[in-house]
Amino acid sequence: MPDPLDALRLPVVAVEPRPAFAAALLRRISGAAEAAAGQPATVRYFVTDLDATVAFYRDLLGFEEELRSSPVFAMLYRGDLRLLLSVPGRAGGGDVLPDGSVPAPGGWNRIALRVPDLDSAVAHLRRRGARFRTGIIAGVAIRQALLHDPAGNLVELFEPAAGYHERTPERGS
Amino acid sequence: MATVRYIVNDVDASLAFYREHLAFREVMHPAPQFALLVRDDLRLAIVSPVDAGHRGGGSRPMPDGTRQEPGGWNRFALEVDDLDGMVDRLAAAGVTFRSGIIDGVGGRQALVQDPSGNLIELFQPTIPQARERAAFEERRQE
Repeated sequence: MPDPLDALRLPVVAVEPRPAFAAALLRRISGAAEAAAGQPATVRYFVTDLDATVAFYRDLLGFEEELRSSPVFAMLYRGDLRLLLSVPGRAGGGDVLPDGSVPAPGGWNRIALRVPDLDSAVAHLRRRGARFRTGIIAGVAIRQALLHDPAGNLVELFEPAAGYHERTPERGS
Repeated sequence: MATVRYIVNDVDASLAFYREHLAFREVMHPAPQFALLVRDDLRLAIVSPVDAGHRGGGSRPMPDGTRQEPGGWNRFALEVDDLDGMVDRLAAAGVTFRSGIIDGVGGRQALVQDPSGNLIELFQPTIPQARERAAFEERRQE
């Protein structure tokens, strides 16, 4: 058993205010808090041609392919967004509902990706052959453009409108 | 923080639904046609269709006149630990389901409908690779 008085025999370390140390500690604390809070959000899109759609999200929008476990399913990541791509009509995973209905691509609900410069992002994507549903739409809080993936699902690209400040902190996009 | 936009018929009714049943928090509701919600790391913007001249841009008709509408099959998924328990609780609270529990390759899921008929997937992974955090945490450590 250690002698409790050993504590008193330890070398004395001077504690003095050191702004650099305090700043580093603060960074570590806030970094740790961010890491603990950070977790992905998941979205499932239905697609028709899995290869073409994976290539679209990977090559044009910077997603990384995490998993392609079958010809009808792929999992992609972009920052903290996890995008599941499912080809409907085959087995499992909600690709066919118990009542026989078969999901399809499309609709107006969409993922929204924040880009630093919407005009140059749109110009860049157009040059690379991307299809847009609209030109740039300017609203009160954001400017946005709606992009089609190869299956016809929408992807919203947005940037905050000039002078508009959101109350929620942005982490990544 | 990942962002998803859903088109809804009635922002107030949808806001109440997402708060009461799915534990979303209201961040802002600055106009009748727009609200922003947060749940963990998902930001959900809900907007109701507006006219072409409206100052909110998220749900205006397309230049060709096509109106944005709720619905479709694409959806966000919420990972849950106890799918059966959650389905029971929501069903008891009167929430509409598009399907009962469906067994898939990586997990089990149930499809909830919001008041406008938009789908929300409740997903309980049955293999570790299907967990939201699995690959994400690996990436973070790289």
